Amino acid sequence: MITAERKPLEELIEYIKPFKRILLLGCNECVTVCAAGGRKEVGLLASGLQMAMLKTGNNIEIRQHTLERQCDPEYVEELVPMIDSADAVMSMACGCGVQQIAMRFKDKPVFPAVNTTFMGASERQGVWAERCQGCGNCLLGITGGICPIARCAKQLMNGPCGGSTGGRCEISEDVDCAWQLIWDRLKALGLQDRYLDIVPAKDWRTGGGSGPRKIIREDLAE
Amino acid sequence: MENFEPVIVAFCCHYCAYTAADMAGSQRLPYPPNVKIVQIPCSGKIDALHIVTAFEKGADGVYVAGCLEGDCHFKNGNTRAARRIEFVKKYLEEIGIESERLEMVNVSAGMGHRFAQVATEITDKIRKLGPSPIRTALAQ
Amino acid sequence: MQNSNTIETQNNKVLVVGGGLGGIRTALDLAEADKDVVLVDKDFTVGGLMTQLDRTFPTNNCDLCTIAPHLSESNRQEHIELMTMTSVDNVTGEKGNFSVTLITKPRYINLEKCTACGECLKQFPECVRFNPGLDHRAPTCMRYPQATPQAFSIDLAKCTDVQALVKVCPAGAINPDDMPIKRELKCASIVLSPGADLFDPSALDYLGYAKFPDVVTSLEYERILSASGPTAGKLLCPSNGRQPKKIAWIQCIGSRGLQKGAGAYCSNACCMFALKEAIITKERFQEDIETTIFYMDMRTFGKDYELYLNRAKDDYGVRFLRSRPHSILHHENEENLTLTYTQDDSTKQFEEKFDMVVLSTGFKTSEDTRALATKIGLQLNDDFFPVTDGFNPVATTKPGIYVAGTFQGPKDIPDTMVQASAAACMAGADLPFFAKKQAAEKEEERARDISLEEPKVGVFICDCGENIGGVINVEDLVEDAAKLPYVAVAKAEGHGCSRISMQNIRQTIEEEQLNRVVIGGCSPRTHLTKFQDLLGKAGLNKYLVEIANIRDQATWVHFGMPGEATTKAKELIKMAVGSAVKAQPLADQSLPMNKNVLVVGGGVTGMTAALRLADQGFQIYLAERSDKLGGLANKLIKTLEGDDVQAFVADLIAKVQNNKKIQVFTRALIVDHSGMPGMFKTGMQSGPQMFYRQIDHGVTILATGALSNRPSQYLLDQSPAVRTQLETQKFVYDNPDAVKKWENVVMIQCVGSRTPENPNCSRICCQNAIKNALAILAINPEARVFVLYRDMRTYGFQEEYYQKARSQGVLFVRYDLDTPPKVQAAGDQVDVTFHDAILGMEITVTADNLSLSTGMIADNDATEELAMVFKLPRTVDGYFLEDHVKLRPVDMSVPGFFVAGTAHSPKLIRESITQANAVAARAQTMLARDSINLGAASAKVDGNLCAACLICVRACPFDVPFINADGYSEIDPAKCHGCGICVSECPAKAIQLMQFEDDRILAKVEQLFERINA
Repeated sequence: MITAERKPLEELIEYIKPFKRILLLGCNECVTVCAAGGRKEVGLLASGLQMAMLKTGNNIEIRQHTLERQCDPEYVEELVPMIDSADAVMSMACGCGVQQIAMRFKDKPVFPAVNTTFMGASERQGVWAERCQGCGNCLLGITGGICPIARCAKQLMNGPCGGSTGGRCEISEDVDCAWQLIWDRLKALGLQDRYLDIVPAKDWRTGGGSGPRKIIREDLAE
Repeated sequence: MENFEPVIVAFCCHYCAYTAADMAGSQRLPYPPNVKIVQIPCSGKIDALHIVTAFEKGADGVYVAGCLEGDCHFKNGNTRAARRIEFVKKYLEEIGIESERLEMVNVSAGMGHRFAQVATEITDKIRKLGPSPIRTALAQ
Repeated sequence: MQNSNTIETQNNKVLVVGGGLGGIRTALDLAEADKDVVLVDKDFTVGGLMTQLDRTFPTNNCDLCTIAPHLSESNRQEHIELMTMTSVDNVTGEKGNFSVTLITKPRYINLEKCTACGECLKQFPECVRFNPGLDHRAPTCMRYPQATPQAFSIDLAKCTDVQALVKVCPAGAINPDDMPIKRELKCASIVLSPGADLFDPSALDYLGYAKFPDVVTSLEYERILSASGPTAGKLLCPSNGRQPKKIAWIQCIGSRGLQKGAGAYCSNACCMFALKEAIITKERFQEDIETTIFYMDMRTFGKDYELYLNRAKDDYGVRFLRSRPHSILHHENEENLTLTYTQDDSTKQFEEKFDMVVLSTGFKTSEDTRALATKIGLQLNDDFFPVTDGFNPVATTKPGIYVAGTFQGPKDIPDTMVQASAAACMAGADLPFFAKKQAAEKEEERARDISLEEPKVGVFICDCGENIGGVINVEDLVEDAAKLPYVAVAKAEGHGCSRISMQNIRQTIEEEQLNRVVIGGCSPRTHLTKFQDLLGKAGLNKYLVEIANIRDQATWVHFGMPGEATTKAKELIKMAVGSAVKAQPLADQSLPMNKNVLVVGGGVTGMTAALRLADQGFQIYLAERSDKLGGLANKLIKTLEGDDVQAFVADLIAKVQNNKKIQVFTRALIVDHSGMPGMFKTGMQSGPQMFYRQIDHGVTILATGALSNRPSQYLLDQSPAVRTQLETQKFVYDNPDAVKKWENVVMIQCVGSRTPENPNCSRICCQNAIKNALAILAINPEARVFVLYRDMRTYGFQEEYYQKARSQGVLFVRYDLDTPPKVQAAGDQVDVTFHDAILGMEITVTADNLSLSTGMIADNDATEELAMVFKLPRTVDGYFLEDHVKLRPVDMSVPGFFVAGTAHSPKLIRESITQANAVAARAQTMLARDSINLGAASAKVDGNLCAACLICVRACPFDVPFINADGYSEIDPAKCHGCGICVSECPAKAIQLMQFEDDRILAKVEQLFERINA
């Protein structure tokens, strides 16, 4: 899932300051699950913005709406009847959603309300951790199901750096050394041999190194 | 603001604080009329949205009254509520509302006295803080 | 006499005689346990003495309003046959098979036809029956607004033109040919709760009651204060209608053998009664009035009553004078009365003027009830109260006949209620086992479909007598409410919970086709169910009602600021209307009831409750913390009255151990608990191996007892001469030879009780001291026994033992909290120094034995742990907190939990047993049901909004939500506990808690501020 966090209120206020009527959009997918931009957060933000603006003597009008998924054009179409009554749009979706809205409604300023952070997983209620960087060439098959690209600070491909101590990464005591995790897991699986294989330098072209990526399923694409 | 009378919303758990409020009533323990009680089935039911809405509408103070620690009828609703209150307090600061205007208190059903005392203390505190900036803005 | 005798052959009923509060409780408990009851009262409505009280201690509200309507309005009525104006003429037969002759006097009104319109009263006020007393206002022949049955009664003898009277009734209900009816009733058992009379002070000329109108009895004063009383609640001197500035109460009139014709006993309730009247007076007039109570001992021994006394003293400024006034005089040319009195620390005679004097008159049995008791063959004691079993005060000398309430002995309402339930338990057990009646398929009350209707709200606002109406103007609220959006009707409803108001509300709902109802009244905690039932009857879904608690949250707590109270009440009503508009019809959930019982605590209380319920066929799990049954009673030898505790306990233990329906766990520790009323699961570890086992049960009885207190004071545990009263009893019993050598014995009362650290009275210690003093004197008549006390609290019949101790030479010396006795070691003896007020000097006694009345304290650790596991409230001093002091004294606020014995508060063994019987009755009212109603408050997911994020799944404290095959969260309403935690954490706002929907909560907030910002 894509995870995100709400931007500081101060930044958001700067965005909407010039406008009177705001359409505040939520998304019922990833950002709902990570409690950043679902119906609940939309309500909280609307109220917060309203109050913050009121304090500066501006009474703004905020309309709230949450789409099933902001990154699909059909869902975005739902906004057509309400878009005209808005001076600007603020989206609590990930960057994909924000762009989808901006593309569809070319004459409306569209602002992001969240910082799209990473692709991650829930560790437990309320805690999400980065797990994938979308490199386009998955290595998990040889790294024991633990990604050195997303989870090693240096994105090393062939074992840990010298900063790994006691299974922790040198950048922080709180971060596990990905290569320690990989080794532990390979050992547990009896697959230590894999560790010996040298992974050649990573080809980052699949990871966006050759510009924006696109996937086309020819059987589905129209 | 002359003769400022704060308006305070008290979200009270049915099992403890709401009962304590009834007890304060039956014992005729006076507390300031500024406190208006909204009954909820458990303090864990308090929604961050309800709290910010109260402020948005002009509340000068809000408090959530749940059971004593360990006494929640639903195991941990009160501790969850307490965490939520901390979260909303931070948000209030971001908005520009003093976080002291929001509080979590714990009262057991038998504490009619404490209920009246808490209501009085919170009212005094909010009275000192003055009207909420939102209320002031709304009045303009 | 009319010959329409009805003869009944079935003896599967209980006859309850007396429709006061106690009789009503007994009847309701039996009926709720599916047992048939005939309730007779000689009056024309039920209610007894309580109908004349303004408000009752210690909550200072009127609770009859809460209980009386249950009699007629609930569906339990099917088990209760109510016969008013009916008395018992004769009883023959024996337990299980009584034959009772009942005589019903003519009412001259057909109850079926009478609508209580009041037309007859208007035209012929002289023919209307009314309870006389002080009530000189035009009598309404319903004694109080909530009367049951709601109908009039005619005094035909006073009527000169019968035909005119008949014609006046629009319903044709007046029947001058009505005749007395005789009925033979078969019943299995009988409960007598006919109440008691109050002492008539007319004969005591020195009190001037017969001569001076401003000398009134406490009941008359109550009537003066009462909203339904002669002055409509205004406090005025009866002599000339001026408002009194100084009022005196004189205690113990007709009690403690003080006056001619007085009972030798203490009447038990009068101290609290006077305190209540003084507090209410102070509350209403504050600085404008002075209240003084003349007393001998303030006997506030009930649960938390000492706090009430302290409040009267400290918060209300009621003045207390320990003195028995000599006489009340009225000097000519003076408006007020003169009281002459002395105080025990001075020989001076004082004179003081008062505007009114209230005589706190005690209880006595009436001639009628004495005659009835004698006719039935009950043995009466010297005070003309029935002789009852020393260990079971509701059991008389005649098997199958039980007594409860003030007829059993003088007592207050909470104790009456406990006895009433206990009597229900005993009397119910005498019924033959019968196959449960197939409940007549009740025609499903069809609620009107309102889905297409616009909200149409009716607002009904109570004045609750003075409780609301005394502080704010209800009409003002009505006017305001009428302007609120969607409000179609707004009305003032007096006592909204009274029968007549309920009828009016129902009629208005039906006529106006309302679809939402808002009651401006008291707490939904006590009254919501009642109004929900009413909506059901009026054809509306019961969840379409909302109560604005303008009494507890406005008039009661802002009584000194009527303006603010009014504004707040308006706000509360507005909030309730806003919320009601959003209310939707809901359906209740139900589950099968588990009929097993968990009893925690294997003392006398726990064992008694277990036995009663086991005898009714329920499976009992009895968990005892220690390694043997018996509890604190194992340490007792005899009661004050001489009953053998050891033999009783041994017998009880044997009965429990031999009962196949009772499984005993010793060394048992409750470790976990889950589930809901009717289907609890409790885990406990027991036995030497701490074997774990989980028990399924429907109800839980807490009988965990209390501890005997042992404060390190007065050389306890340091000098061999110092013992607690408990140890003293054992020592005296085991070592009579040593006792024979004692010269001086001192006892100190209130050790560790009634102190700032432990403010409550331990209730049992005064009688304990008397018991031990008498036992010592029986062995060694030469011993000098000093009892150092603060107030001797030998309530009820214990007073006679106190008098006996005095007459046998026990010296009672009073001390104050500020000047406690001093104790110093003197070899194996101790020197006790105390101040004697009469001699005005310090006295030192070298005592061979010093007995400390250390009383009881709550088993704080145990109750704290159990309260945590079971989620139950406790009092500040660590006892379990009952749901309602008077109405539900043994029910806990969490349904399915009951409390009895000293876990509730300190009490005597027989009082504990009475509570044990009472909980057994209360538990049966639940165990009789086959299914549990779970209510409608459960969380509901809107699958269209759900993002299947799992937050609810993880947040639920009970693991109820799951992601279903359709990919969204699902919550089983039967398993949902209704806390709403998932609702408030759902990031998609896909969950709503029924009854507490977000839009309803927000509507309240919005409505509150709409007014303020407007």
